[in-house]
Amino acid sequence: MLLTCPYCGPRDVSEFTYQGDGNRQRPAANSQDLQAWNEYVYDRQNPAGDHNEIWQHSGGCRSHIRVVRNTLSHVVSSAIPVRGDTHRRATERRKPGAKA
Amino acid sequence: MSPRRNETGGQIDRLKTVRFTFDGVPFTGHVGDTLASALLASGITLMGRSFKYHRPRGILSAGMDEPNALVTILRGTAREPNIPATAIEIYDGLRAESQNRFPSLNWDIGAINQLASKVIGAGFYYKTFMGPVVGPLKGTRFWMFCEHFIRRAAGLGRAGTVADDSRYERMNAFCDVLVVGSGPAGLMAAKAAADSGARVILAELDPRFGGSANWSGETIDGARAADWASEIVNSLKGRNNVRLLPRTAVWGYYDGNTLAALERVSDHKETTARGEPRHRHWTIRAKSVVLATGALERPLVFPGNDRPGVMLASAAQRYTNQFGVLPGEKITLFTNNDTAYQAAASLKKAGANVATIIDVRTDISDQARALAASAGAELIAGHAVSATDGGKTLNGIRVQRLDGASGTLTGEQRSIQTDCLLVSGGWSPVLHLASQAGAKPEWDEKLQAFLPPQPTQDWSGAGAFTGHLATADAIVEGHAAGLAAAGGRARAIEHPAIEPASINAEPAPVFEIKAEGKSFVDFQHDVTADDVRLAHREGFISVEHLKRYTTLGMATDQGKSSNVPGLAIMAEALGKPIPEVGTTRFRPPYTAVSIGSLAAERYGDLKPERLTPMHDWHLAQDATMYSAGLWFRPMIYGHAGETVEQAYVREARAVRETAGIVDVSTLGKIAVQGPDAAELLDRVYTNLFSTLPVGKARYGLMLREDGVAFDDGTTWRLGQDDFLMTTTTANAGKVMQHLEYFLDVIWPELKVTVTSVTDEWAGAAIGGPKAREILTACVKGTAVDNAALPFMGIVHGEIAGVPVMICRLSFSGEMAFEVYCGAGYGTHVWEALIEAGKPFDLVAYGLEALGTLRIEKGHVTGAEIDGRTTARDLHLDWMLSKKKPFIGSAMMDREGLIAADRLQLVGIVALDNRPLNGGAHIVDELDPENPHGSIGHITACCYAPALGKYIALALVQGGKGRHGTRAYVSDPLRKRFGPVEIVSNHFFDPEGSRMHG
Amino acid sequence: MVERLSPLEPVYRPGSHGRFEDGVGVILSETRPDSIVQVAAWPGEEARAIAAIRKVTGLALPDGAGGGVVDGEKAAFGFAPGKFTVVDEAEGLAAALAKAIAPAVGTVTELSHGRTAIRIEGPEAEWVLAKFFAIDFALPAFPLGAARSTTHHDVFAQIQRTGGDRFDIYVFRSFARSFWKALGHAAEEVGYEVA
Repeated sequence: MLLTCPYCGPRDVSEFTYQGDGNRQRPAANSQDLQAWNEYVYDRQNPAGDHNEIWQHSGGCRSHIRVVRNTLSHVVSSAIPVRGDTHRRATERRKPGAKA
Repeated sequence: MSPRRNETGGQIDRLKTVRFTFDGVPFTGHVGDTLASALLASGITLMGRSFKYHRPRGILSAGMDEPNALVTILRGTAREPNIPATAIEIYDGLRAESQNRFPSLNWDIGAINQLASKVIGAGFYYKTFMGPVVGPLKGTRFWMFCEHFIRRAAGLGRAGTVADDSRYERMNAFCDVLVVGSGPAGLMAAKAAADSGARVILAELDPRFGGSANWSGETIDGARAADWASEIVNSLKGRNNVRLLPRTAVWGYYDGNTLAALERVSDHKETTARGEPRHRHWTIRAKSVVLATGALERPLVFPGNDRPGVMLASAAQRYTNQFGVLPGEKITLFTNNDTAYQAAASLKKAGANVATIIDVRTDISDQARALAASAGAELIAGHAVSATDGGKTLNGIRVQRLDGASGTLTGEQRSIQTDCLLVSGGWSPVLHLASQAGAKPEWDEKLQAFLPPQPTQDWSGAGAFTGHLATADAIVEGHAAGLAAAGGRARAIEHPAIEPASINAEPAPVFEIKAEGKSFVDFQHDVTADDVRLAHREGFISVEHLKRYTTLGMATDQGKSSNVPGLAIMAEALGKPIPEVGTTRFRPPYTAVSIGSLAAERYGDLKPERLTPMHDWHLAQDATMYSAGLWFRPMIYGHAGETVEQAYVREARAVRETAGIVDVSTLGKIAVQGPDAAELLDRVYTNLFSTLPVGKARYGLMLREDGVAFDDGTTWRLGQDDFLMTTTTANAGKVMQHLEYFLDVIWPELKVTVTSVTDEWAGAAIGGPKAREILTACVKGTAVDNAALPFMGIVHGEIAGVPVMICRLSFSGEMAFEVYCGAGYGTHVWEALIEAGKPFDLVAYGLEALGTLRIEKGHVTGAEIDGRTTARDLHLDWMLSKKKPFIGSAMMDREGLIAADRLQLVGIVALDNRPLNGGAHIVDELDPENPHGSIGHITACCYAPALGKYIALALVQGGKGRHGTRAYVSDPLRKRFGPVEIVSNHFFDPEGSRMHG
Repeated sequence: MVERLSPLEPVYRPGSHGRFEDGVGVILSETRPDSIVQVAAWPGEEARAIAAIRKVTGLALPDGAGGGVVDGEKAAFGFAPGKFTVVDEAEGLAAALAKAIAPAVGTVTELSHGRTAIRIEGPEAEWVLAKFFAIDFALPAFPLGAARSTTHHDVFAQIQRTGGDRFDIYVFRSFARSFWKALGHAAEEVGYEVA
């Protein structure tokens, strides 16, 4: 399986670490809502189809990537940096053939 | 020249003789021969014994699809079993052995199994050996009794038992176009893609590029097909955008257009060059793939179809035209299609005697009739072979009229004398890679074969693979596929002139001739047509189940020769058309893959290891090294004649009495920098770090989100925005990922950089009553007294001209210091400390003593922070800040995590003064006969020189409440039982007066 | 000044090795720069970090992922979003960069001891590296000056192309000896020289 790191380009899955369900919402740090914490820590969606996931390119640039992966076909329809847009613009991949 | 070998013709070099042995008997062949062709040329037709019935077997095919002639290659002390003789290039000194026979291939005692064949049909193992014992000769226990004998009698070659010292390598490759197969279609695809500038890899299973061009006997635009192919190959050689990979099996097609291939780099050589691998595993990432893997001829299923001398028609054509070997003296041919007639004509042209052609069809095309006539063969239409005669070699066949509609045999049996029966049951495109890539093959009624599905990945196909068996079609299609794969605009080329004219390859839908006797579907596993029907009768209706129950198409065969005939017989039994029965999904690998090539450098000496800056010093002191994860650390610095226990006790005692020094460079070190660094630490640690002054360190504890303890360590504030975090050696990577995750995903607003600086710093911990005096003697530029360097203080100075950073903290419980310097200076500083320590009896100590000192102090490590314990379980609740939320704070007080009967950290003292074992259970009442009632377990143990006792740390239910009570250690595996006292984990100097000094 | 000890010391054997009779495929060496420094810029501050690197070293980093520049004794490249490695044969780079990069722009981390720089150079450099790393080393895919972060098993590597057939590989110091041995092993086939 290949994942396309927004920074490094397509790399083998062995360079990445799965960091869990991307749908989870962490409650506010001081929240005492145990139900919400329970959902965040333990509940995982397990769809047969497109799934929002967090991956870390741990064997490369080490940044985290928000991936939409089809769990039936492994087709990755989207892979964007977890960090915001300003970050992404500044580090956009150069187009092939562009001057250094 | 052997009687079977022609004087001229083929791609072998008759001037070069190669000597080899088969079952110890010397043979010769020529450069360009396979083991099969060389043996065939020498008149050998018996090459193996079958899997179950030990039936004599010869050669069915001329390639990787060979199910019968599997041999073992002996090389040095290594043996490699189950290699098709048809895929082995001979070299001087090659030693090959036949398999599954005893005492010899010719006289095989196991052949007696044929007499028992009625009881060892499909499912024999399941029926006999599975399930409850319901009699003396049934069930799983019976299997355990019989296994040894059955394993010896059944099966294929024997694997070697000595280590394989061959070199294997892995290689990563990238290309625009990968072409798999180098027949006319593949060659044209590679050329078209290369001509348009694409980066091309052309992989060919065989040593010689060209595929069928090497043996078809055709001419292409007037040139011999083999020469036509050579010319294209030569034009591709030396282009820097083309990589040619001969002897390379592309065996797996994975996601992301990633393919796996095995290159047999030096299997065909007598000796390998220095550094040259035996096999090279290729991981190829291709933008586009052209599958030109061709088609395999299918055998027909009829009684005695496995007798040596029965061979595929195309294989005979190949032996004759590529290797100059005639497969028999009086050849007969049995077919359901026209392509076999071409083989007959081709053989005749090369000098063979093709006596008879038996065709199941009554309506024979004019073209086929003309070819039969030109071959000088008698044509018997509407007939089938119903039996074969002979023992270990074929000497005749029986032929009967076949009723096309009912499939029954009628009329008189006619005997025909022959030593070679060629069969052709139609053609199956080699779809394995396409199927692996994710799509279901589609049945084609005309070709009576599965054709490639719509691509689910970026591949296209050409030639026989797509069902276009005619060479002219393959060339045109290959060119178009290559051009398209390279992203070029399709430009059709003219059909080349091929001689002889191509022939219709569509067969009659006849797969099996039903008659008395064993008709083999899968030769390799001795699966007969009756076995398939038996499976159906017993209720197996899915092809996937059929495969598993009968073993049809398993192992190296992978459905190459057996797949379609097996499905056809199953379909008939089910009364369904073949497409409704479907085919099994092909899975990697297409051909056998050496385990060595997959392991490659991940094995033995080349496995990565981590060494500290002082590693060579430890070795020079004869330290016993211990692998801790990837790290190597000194376990003890033993003296001559010392046991491990004596060594660590001596080392630990020295720390308490004078001073000791230990290499702590392996501790995880993370630079935490930035304006929000302190804020991050407040959030990830259970205690506060924002209040830590610059120049001070603090012990910290981290929890996981679920409230369970995660890791501990000290973190040093080097500057306002600059912290050095230390972690346990084992958790360094995990803690780093933990921080990175929270910074990237949860708190992107925090301006903090975390960087692994484990390798930047060499660390030496020096502790003991004399430690400060030693430092005073060698540190320049700073004082190290209580005022300048209080407990948990940090100073900067110099040792032997090297800048150092010293933090006063203690793991041993003694007055102790951690001295850090740039890793490149590590040995230099370490040696200066050793030198300065000499007057003070400084002793270097290893992991065992380190562990002993910490157990005496009751400090926790990964053995106690085991992913199940909480801060409270470890008596670290004093570190849980109430002033702020932190990771795990919301979840840590859940009912189950604060229950009174949880396993809690305690100390254990052996009352019988004998050593304790890690992992041993603690029980209330001792019962060695029936061990039970565990209340906890030992996590770490040692002899404690400070106490003169064998002690341990343990996790025990409601531990704190049991202090001062009696319990027992129960360790049935190591037969260690005995009384213990449960005490506080702080065995030694609980007030910490020694380290505070 | 005390000389730094290389982690390769006992296994660094200058001379020809492997199948060198038919020509030397690659030359392996340890470049031992005195300064290897990491610069990390906060999101949006990358341009200011790049400007500071230029001011201190004279190296003009190109914009874009994995872009880099080489100039004799100095080199710089991006290896992660907002993160750069800057290398100088001379000492003192970390201090100079720390002065030029304000806390509002980013951080500077000294890694001169923690990373070992190994150079592979020669006609077979791409071939030998392809045995380790699943990245495309061909010049069009991996241009001069550019860098890649990748891993071989557990060994992290930052690789910069510093010439047509030359690559500088930065690995963690503790892994350097293991990696060096594996590199030599892989290069035996093509013949190699240790400079």
